Amino acid sequence: MSGRIWKLARNMVVAVVSFAVVVMLLPTKARSQLGLDPCCAIISAGLSTISNLLSSSVAKPLSAIQQLEQQAANFEQQVVFPVAAINQARGLALQFQGQFTQMKQTFQLQVASATLPTPQQLEQTLLSHNPGSVPQVTANYAALYGTVMPATDAPQQVRNLVDMTDAEAQAAMKKAVEIDSLADLELQAAEQINQQLTTAAPGSAAILEAQASAWLVRANAYTQSAMAELVRVRSIELANRGAQLKFSTAHTTNLHSTGSQMLQGAH
Amino acid sequence: MKKYLQNFVWFAGRSRHLKHSFALVVLALILLPGTARAAGLTDILTLLTTITSTIQNAIGGVLTGIQTLNNSVNNFRQQIIWPVNALNQTRGFIISTKAQYQGLMNQIHQVKNNSATLASPAQLESLYRSTQAGSIAQLESSYSTVYSPVPLATDAKPIQRNLMDMDDALAMGSLKTAVLSDQTTSGMLGLADSIEQQSATAAPGSGPMLATEAQIASLESQAYLTKVLASELRQEAAKLAHENTLLKQSAANTRNLENQVQQVLTHP
Repeated sequence: MSGRIWKLARNMVVAVVSFAVVVMLLPTKARSQLGLDPCCAIISAGLSTISNLLSSSVAKPLSAIQQLEQQAANFEQQVVFPVAAINQARGLALQFQGQFTQMKQTFQLQVASATLPTPQQLEQTLLSHNPGSVPQVTANYAALYGTVMPATDAPQQVRNLVDMTDAEAQAAMKKAVEIDSLADLELQAAEQINQQLTTAAPGSAAILEAQASAWLVRANAYTQSAMAELVRVRSIELANRGAQLKFSTAHTTNLHSTGSQMLQGAH
Repeated sequence: MKKYLQNFVWFAGRSRHLKHSFALVVLALILLPGTARAAGLTDILTLLTTITSTIQNAIGGVLTGIQTLNNSVNNFRQQIIWPVNALNQTRGFIISTKAQYQGLMNQIHQVKNNSATLASPAQLESLYRSTQAGSIAQLESSYSTVYSPVPLATDAKPIQRNLMDMDDALAMGSLKTAVLSDQTTSGMLGLADSIEQQSATAAPGSGPMLATEAQIASLESQAYLTKVLASELRQEAAKLAHENTLLKQSAANTRNLENQVQQVLTHP
């Protein structure tokens, strides 16, 4: 038994040693087997191709792109957005700021001209530019122009006409105070937008333009509302003339009837 | 190499179990990677092919595409959106329009409309058409010379004096407002000229800034127009109120007359 084991062990040792010798004798590196490796030539040729490709397919288009970008940048800086023109536009905004202030000061000059206390009071309210003073118009107006006459003094139709006329006259005066105040606010806004424009960029100027346009639409709307009030005043004026003609006609008819009755009674 | 093999054969020959050993060696040789060098070359070739293909197609193709696109965008900008010829033509158009209209419009605007013939009205008219805010201080005396001052308290009833004073005040107020408005109009026309002047040398980039400036000036102008309208409203309202007051006075006078007639009839 021990002999068989020994034999087996000996065979195994021989086999392992033989295997180790073969493995040791085999070339450990492929390159060392044949001297100069053909891979080098292949890699060299490959790298050369890559280099050529990088020059032709990458560097050349990149150079062209850089040239195009440079051209585009020059065009934008010299033709589309030249800094000189932009600064000139900002300078104009700065110059306008001064002129706007001057105009505002001109329009702030006093135009009040009444000399007697009652008219002075009404005029002061009308020229106040203060919407808070609108409720005072009614009292000031009544103090100057009076109120609707008592029912004993005039027919109801005449009283209605007088009340309607007073109402429209007062409304127009109130509207004048309101739109004066609105105009002041529009001027303030315009100056603020202009101030912003003095430091704006071409890109943000378009946004400011949109804002200024919106304000302009608003201003037009307020002007339209004032025009409507003016139309109402003139309509009431026209209606009054028509009403006076109607009253006159009615009086003539009454006079004619009364005269006829008197003449019939005399006969 | 040969020497190694001879040693091996000698060693194997001395072995009593040559067959087994030889079989193991053959097995080892079979198991060793005999095609290692061939597989490496193929891989390198494949890798190089992949790299060149990537450079040529994936990178080169995209770069060429970007170049074409950039070129196209540049051409579009320079030939369609902002062609220098069109920009210069527009600037030329502005200069020619300005030359064509500005002088003519100024001349029309400066035509004098004064029509009064007598001294006092002529003075008043020249004041309220002066377009000089400084002249409004003289307006009151000149107005008073033409339209007379409010009568003394002994010469008219208080209501009549108040009406006259208010009418005068609003008329004068409106005349003063008209003078201020005229001055502002001159300023606005100056601003319009400046904007047009600068438009003639503007670039597409500064154009929106000038447009914004024009919108702001337009807003200012609209605000002053509103103020003039407010003045007209006050005037029209006063006119209406005046007529209405006369109607009220008429009713009061009629009542007084009736009372007096009744008194006369009661006490003949």
